[in-house]
Amino acid sequence: MFTRASLLALGILAVTSPAFGQTLRVALNQDLRSSEPGVNRDGNTDVVMTNVVEGLVSYDKGGAVGPLLAQSYEVSADGKTYTFKLRKGVKFHNGNPLTSAAVVWNFDRYMNPKTNWYCLNDFNGTNGTKVVSYSAPDPDTFVLQIEKPDALFLDSMARTDCGGLAIMDKASLKADGSWDKPIGTGPFTFGEWKQGQSVQFDAYKGYVSAPGKERDGFIGKKDPLVDHVIFMAIPDGATVKAGLESGEIDMAIVPESDVKELRANKDLAVEVGTTPVRNSFILQTRDPVLKDVRIRQALAISLDYKQIVEAVTDGLGRVNNSPVFDTSGYFGDVEKKGFEYNPEKARQLLKEAGYKGQQITVHANKRSTVPSFPMTVIAQQMWQAVGLNVNIEVLDWPTQLSKYGVGGYMMQSTSYSPRFDVASGFEQISGDKDKQPRKVWDNPEALALIDKAMETLDPKVRQPIFDKLHAMILNDVPIILTHNRVSCMAHSAKVQGVEPTSFSYGVWGITKKD
Amino acid sequence: MKRFVAANAAIGSVIIGFLVLVAVTGAVWTPYDPLGISFRDKLAAPNARHWLGTDEFGRDVASRLMAGAASSVWISITTVTIAVSIGVVIGVTSGYSRGWFDRIVMSFNDALLAFPGILLALGLLAVLGANKYGIIVALGIAYSPSVARIVRGTVLSIREREFIAASRVIGNSEAYTMMRHVLPNCLAALTVLTTSMFGWVLLAESSLSFLGLGVPPPAPTWGNMLASARPYIGQAIWLAVLPGLCISMTLLGINLLGDALRDRLDPRMRDRT
Amino acid sequence: MLRFILARIVMALPTLLIVIASVFLLIRMVPGDPAALMLGDNADPASIAMLHAKLGLDQSLPKQFAIWFGNLLTGDLGSSIATGQDVLSLVWARFTVSAQVVVAAVLLACLVAVPAGVIAAWRQNGKLDISAVSIATLLMSVPTFWLGLLLLLFLGLKLRWLPVVGYVSIAEDPWRGTLYLIMPILTLFLHEMGVILRMARASTLEVMRLDYITHARAKGLTESAVLWRHAFKNSFGPTWTLIGLVLGNLLGGIAVVETVFTIPGVGRLLVDSIFGRDYPVIQGCMLMVALVYVVVNLIVDLCYPLFDPRVTIE
Repeated sequence: MFTRASLLALGILAVTSPAFGQTLRVALNQDLRSSEPGVNRDGNTDVVMTNVVEGLVSYDKGGAVGPLLAQSYEVSADGKTYTFKLRKGVKFHNGNPLTSAAVVWNFDRYMNPKTNWYCLNDFNGTNGTKVVSYSAPDPDTFVLQIEKPDALFLDSMARTDCGGLAIMDKASLKADGSWDKPIGTGPFTFGEWKQGQSVQFDAYKGYVSAPGKERDGFIGKKDPLVDHVIFMAIPDGATVKAGLESGEIDMAIVPESDVKELRANKDLAVEVGTTPVRNSFILQTRDPVLKDVRIRQALAISLDYKQIVEAVTDGLGRVNNSPVFDTSGYFGDVEKKGFEYNPEKARQLLKEAGYKGQQITVHANKRSTVPSFPMTVIAQQMWQAVGLNVNIEVLDWPTQLSKYGVGGYMMQSTSYSPRFDVASGFEQISGDKDKQPRKVWDNPEALALIDKAMETLDPKVRQPIFDKLHAMILNDVPIILTHNRVSCMAHSAKVQGVEPTSFSYGVWGITKKD
Repeated sequence: MKRFVAANAAIGSVIIGFLVLVAVTGAVWTPYDPLGISFRDKLAAPNARHWLGTDEFGRDVASRLMAGAASSVWISITTVTIAVSIGVVIGVTSGYSRGWFDRIVMSFNDALLAFPGILLALGLLAVLGANKYGIIVALGIAYSPSVARIVRGTVLSIREREFIAASRVIGNSEAYTMMRHVLPNCLAALTVLTTSMFGWVLLAESSLSFLGLGVPPPAPTWGNMLASARPYIGQAIWLAVLPGLCISMTLLGINLLGDALRDRLDPRMRDRT
Repeated sequence: MLRFILARIVMALPTLLIVIASVFLLIRMVPGDPAALMLGDNADPASIAMLHAKLGLDQSLPKQFAIWFGNLLTGDLGSSIATGQDVLSLVWARFTVSAQVVVAAVLLACLVAVPAGVIAAWRQNGKLDISAVSIATLLMSVPTFWLGLLLLLFLGLKLRWLPVVGYVSIAEDPWRGTLYLIMPILTLFLHEMGVILRMARASTLEVMRLDYITHARAKGLTESAVLWRHAFKNSFGPTWTLIGLVLGNLLGGIAVVETVFTIPGVGRLLVDSIFGRDYPVIQGCMLMVALVYVVVNLIVDLCYPLFDPRVTIE
């Protein structure tokens, strides 16, 4: 008698991966948090899921919002009514057509507190904008009203951490209303997920791309050009490197220090670019020692940024002391001017402030995805050189984060997740510390300016505001920004079309030769 | 055969003597500042200026190894002393008395054994602060139950032997019997465990560091040098080989010396020579 | 015998309870908040409070423990904060993977290291002994994450004999599954071999000095009979205890090897959930590890009389 086990042993049932056609293997340092966009998520999960699901609008490669499932959209003169026209011919992965009724169903689901949508508080009025109503006047039109005009409303709809407000088919839920798996409109369908190991996506043959000649961030031409993609969770960087070299991995983010070595391998290539992630030291302005602005300024100008950035990015990064990321359209001549490196003046400031060698403790962590630890080690040397008594305390990330959350630190070396909108980027670090102790920059004048920048998208109005904010933050020094993250995407030479940016886990438009 | 034992002891003493010399020197003087950064010399291979090369921050490896010897030796000696003292007391009393006392003590001992070191380290480091002492206490507590279990096992097997019974029959107190007859018989197992433990302690910190929990003290240790060298295996292999070699040589020295020491202390061996 | 086993299982309950309670307490004493980790940039006080309420973290510690323990008695270990998976099935699935690696590695280590240690002791200070002890010492001083990496680069990348990344379960494909397990098993085997060899050698040496070995030799028994029937049998006690320790220790400490070789085992799960402050999963893993400990110790104690007739099971 043949038991199941003996059949397995004979390899009869052992059809493992349906690896017919081309398969692109991409390394992730961690498995997906969940398959439910915008609900249980992290940074990697957000971008990986853009292969499967799409929202009405999303970001182009410069971080501006453009239509994705929408053909077009209009904002009424009072800024409160948004009318979206849906693109024709789009079908969900199960064959159901995309209609405005489906969009309404998705909004119902997101706005329902039971869904636990990550961004609910940003849409129900708790933290700002309130969606008052939405409806589907005809199958191709979706109309939505908000309480007050909000220049950043479309940006909020595109936010990747909100799941880009992905529009999915009802069949994504089980009969009892619980989550099953995403049935979206993206270039790939959600295939087998071995939790803790890997997830497979398969090309969606019926994909209808947004118009455009080439890929443009999360919009533009998005056709799938490989048959399968497998995202594999590989936590150890050395293993990733070995996998790239052995050809078992086609694409992986690698640390800057590996770039030279991998480029020397003719079977591999590395694309390098910067992302809006900002690396920094944050300073507790309410600390007895650091509340003196002169000491904070001394900390800022005693660092040789060029040397720090060159060391931690292996010469691939650029200094940027501004909260405005360096690939933004708002990154102009004013923003380019950062802290002046002047150890002499730093000593002078310390003397004026009456600094007597009080110990300053910096929290750092050793996560491999951020330069926190090496940056702090190097900076410590420079601070000590001007007579600052700086001590490093290495914490595991959850511990550091919990201290950040209550403002319980003198200094921390930390990295801020991307905000494509510059005003949101300022808002991310600024606020009233009494209400939100995690905020870093508590300056009423700055907060008023940020609010003003959020009222409009007009660059002519916004640029002078950002220039002013930049100058103010350099003077206040609640935070010492050093550089934007350098993203190094290593890939097999057989693979073409890789982008080294925040979008690089969106794998449409990528081809693989045999 | 005796000649070999003597030779082993001599080699062991030389290695350990050298190590102590380096550690003591490293605590007061090193050729360069072990924390001094120099980007121009980043990942330099061994050369005339830096005999053992430099690391990813351009720090002199020889100086770091010397400074590391001081902290590594200090950490491992204190940790092993804590673990062995606690473990021996618990193991001997528990194994010798048996009964309900043994059961209660072993419940706690097993509970501690089942605790993974990483969780214990994380918890204790959070309480004691992320520093050298946190590591010492955490590892000392983590290793003591293994000692207790091994000692108890040996005690269980020898307490039934004739000479223990004889000691009791002639009216020796329990404590005396334990000290004079039971403990010396645990020495063989204990020597192996103690000398192995030096290795575990030297490496434990590097494993914690690898998993992202490392506690870099102000001074370098061999363990964290070994862990941080890993990404540079292709470019600067000396970064890993040198601290690894230091750990190996230390273990070898301790083992040789430990074996010789056991032979000296073992009552039966002493009687025979 | 059966009564002894039952008694031991009852005796083990306090051990389990101590482990469970202290893990529960310790992990909540360590700073870090699963809600803050999940919310990231959206971690404003209101959202944190909402998530705490949803996860039941706003309750008092004794109440949280009572709820968790009550559920445990009904066989419900809760679900993961991070991924929502059922903890019991998650931990069990990961545990079976780790167990394959650990049991194979320790078995292999015993088969090689114990005889090697006994022979080394027999030839004390001979060439065989010196090389065995040197190799054992060297292996003990190489951390598993280096040993694993070297094997990976040599067997995987240089010789191309074995796959470098990924994992296939043995149940799914026995042949490919085995290929993925070879390097992790080899890493652990080499690492644990050192200490077992040295222990076997030391305990055998100890016994070889005793009078009855001299008597046995005087009686004209062959060297191998003396060695295996008398010396080995009487000296195996401490080695056996050590093997039990190693087996239990490895389940907690296998995380490093699982990280290097991308094996979805319980060690990696524990480390990941510690870094994610995923309380239910940490508790589930610890319960599993503690259970294994108890079982391993029971087996160790039950087997003790087999080779040490002086110890009896009461």
